Amino acid sequence: MRGTPARARRWLTAAGAVLALTAVAACGGGNDGSGGSGSGSADKADLTWQFWVGGTEDQAAWQKVADQAHTDHSGITVKLQGTDWNNYWSKIGTLLASGKAPCIIGMQSLRLASYANAMLPLDDLIKKYNLKPEDFDKPIMDGLKVDGKQIAIPYDSGPMVIFYNKDLFKAAGVPDPKPGWTIDEFKAAAKKLTSAGRTGLVTTPSDLGTASWVRTISGAEPLADGKLNLTDAKFADGFTTWANFVRTDKIAPQVPSGNSDFETTQFVSGKSAMQLNGPWSLIDTLGKVKFNLGIAPIPAGADGSKTYTAGSGFGISRSCKTPDAAFQAIMSMTSDKPLTTLAAAGRAYPARTAAHPAWFTAAKIPEAKEVIEYASENSVPLVTSKNWVQVNDLLTRFGTQALNGEIPPDQALKTIQDQAGAGS
Amino acid sequence: MVTLNDTVAPTETVRSGRRPALRRDGRYASVFLAPSLAGLALFTLFPTAMALAISLFDWPVFGERKFLGFGNYTHLFGDPVFRRVVFNTALFVVLYVPLNVVLSLGLATWLGPKIKGRQAFRVLFFIPVMTPMVANVMVWRLLFQPGGLLDAGLNSWFGIDAPNFLGSSSWAMPAIVAMSIWQGFGYNFLVFSAALDQVPQSQLESAQIDGAGPLQRFRYVTWPMITPSIFFATTMTLITSFQVFAQPFILTQGGPGVATQTIVMYVYNQGWQFLTMGLASAAGWVLFVIIMGITAIQFLGQKRWVNYDV
Repeated sequence: MRGTPARARRWLTAAGAVLALTAVAACGGGNDGSGGSGSGSADKADLTWQFWVGGTEDQAAWQKVADQAHTDHSGITVKLQGTDWNNYWSKIGTLLASGKAPCIIGMQSLRLASYANAMLPLDDLIKKYNLKPEDFDKPIMDGLKVDGKQIAIPYDSGPMVIFYNKDLFKAAGVPDPKPGWTIDEFKAAAKKLTSAGRTGLVTTPSDLGTASWVRTISGAEPLADGKLNLTDAKFADGFTTWANFVRTDKIAPQVPSGNSDFETTQFVSGKSAMQLNGPWSLIDTLGKVKFNLGIAPIPAGADGSKTYTAGSGFGISRSCKTPDAAFQAIMSMTSDKPLTTLAAAGRAYPARTAAHPAWFTAAKIPEAKEVIEYASENSVPLVTSKNWVQVNDLLTRFGTQALNGEIPPDQALKTIQDQAGAGS
Repeated sequence: MVTLNDTVAPTETVRSGRRPALRRDGRYASVFLAPSLAGLALFTLFPTAMALAISLFDWPVFGERKFLGFGNYTHLFGDPVFRRVVFNTALFVVLYVPLNVVLSLGLATWLGPKIKGRQAFRVLFFIPVMTPMVANVMVWRLLFQPGGLLDAGLNSWFGIDAPNFLGSSSWAMPAIVAMSIWQGFGYNFLVFSAALDQVPQSQLESAQIDGAGPLQRFRYVTWPMITPSIFFATTMTLITSFQVFAQPFILTQGGPGVATQTIVMYVYNQGWQFLTMGLASAAGWVLFVIIMGITAIQFLGQKRWVNYDV
């Protein structure tokens, strides 16, 4: 059997070639230039900023925000790396886990808990560079904290409010809702508005929307002592009342599964007279609707009008080698000037109180200031669990079944709780 | 350095004069194969083995990794959601594959050489295959959603409301299968059209002269000749349908509940949304074993019905 060694050697040659090429390819892969951890000193650094962007126009607008850092500190440059929203979170997760994340990271308050461990607490830097937290909306500053530590500095914020179709209200003879209106008044209005293929409300299951409805109806929160608490009787009460808007009250249409645009499409096309939405969508919605758009606070339950705030900001990855420079860049990016510019362009309801007037001017809705300030006062940040992405996914799935009457609302909550566990 | 030739005994060279040439060919072949083997090793074998290794751990993207042995697998099989996900995938395959093959074969047979404008039909049927899936799904969503085209059409013509296709657990899967068949049958249709064109007219005519009717001609002349194409089409369709992702992902996000969630969606969600790589890898391996098993059965079974003697 002398052929065997020769055959074995041929295999070895082939295997050797494979290994050699694999090694070459692997080495090539390592040098990807993603070294966004930055280099330099406190006043001189080339930084990379990972953020979600919606397209080239969006990218250009946000790059201008980044350029503010260079304007304020000639030694610092910030380069924006944009990714679309859906891919952003898996990308940032892998980057943070591998220790190759760029210095500056865009972060949304609802997702913060999942990523906080890989991000640098900013409290020392806030003191060192004298950033004034009181210049920002308190609910969103708090919303970007984890275990009492500030993880990101916000650029936008906003409490959930009701968007409504003024023309439909007028045609149905329903008075415009005012701050302080109650759930009963809301239901009566929605019933009057539900006719001729139209509904008074459109609602779909989503973390911020559903939790806001539950909070105003029953005062219950999804987390208790940092643990998911969805099967709590008070939470179940609020959730059932909300689900009944579709199930039994029939003031809102049945919902399709997995269509996050449904609510907005339904409202914008005039098929539903109200929806719960965030101020960040207001100016965009104004550009789409062909009717007079109004806003009102979420209707008050037994304990008054209560809603949740969410927003986004910028933080620093733990792997960043120049956190001082990165923090100074973030201070510039969240300063009055870029936030006012963003507000005037209708991009986001600014987290800085000084930039609010520019946004109210752009919004062109007379009651906007009163309503948003009222809602903001009655809002708290929605504190989330570490596995919130999963919780929200489950809520969307089983919430749809609860709304459409396929399963009882408390069974939906139990399934979500069983699947998501305590939330860690 | 010892070369390959040094080690070969002269007697063997005498016994088979072609061996050195073969050996040289072997070496050249290794060199030429190396790039694709490297690609296979790097992008297929390594990730597959790595996934198997990861599937034995609790492997969060953040935080500590913990060896679990087969813990992820026992969790999966004990989880009613995952069992439903496997059932959904099987249901999709059972509905989609036969309907796709029957429809594409039926249309390909109907669009025989005597039909006018068959080329135009071929192009028409193939358009959905070429159009990006996302665009297809968006259009179907407009059809299916409450107040959508189907709902509005039924309402204005017959005064009845359409079912909530994408919001009802009983309608969502049939809606996805319908959309998928429309989108995917064009490919098999082309495969079958090409196979049918290869069936010699003379044999069909002689069968006709012998008194065979259209059904008999199809059963005893056409069918045996196109079995290799049918085998190819069913195998490929089966594999791709087990991997179905885009349609439920965009149309229903796997909902309502988990009524339309498939195994690949489950893997995607666990891995890239919830960042639990261990569970995602285990689910990926479950799918891999299912597909391997069924494809192996198909290959073993083909001896009974696939005819390569034409």
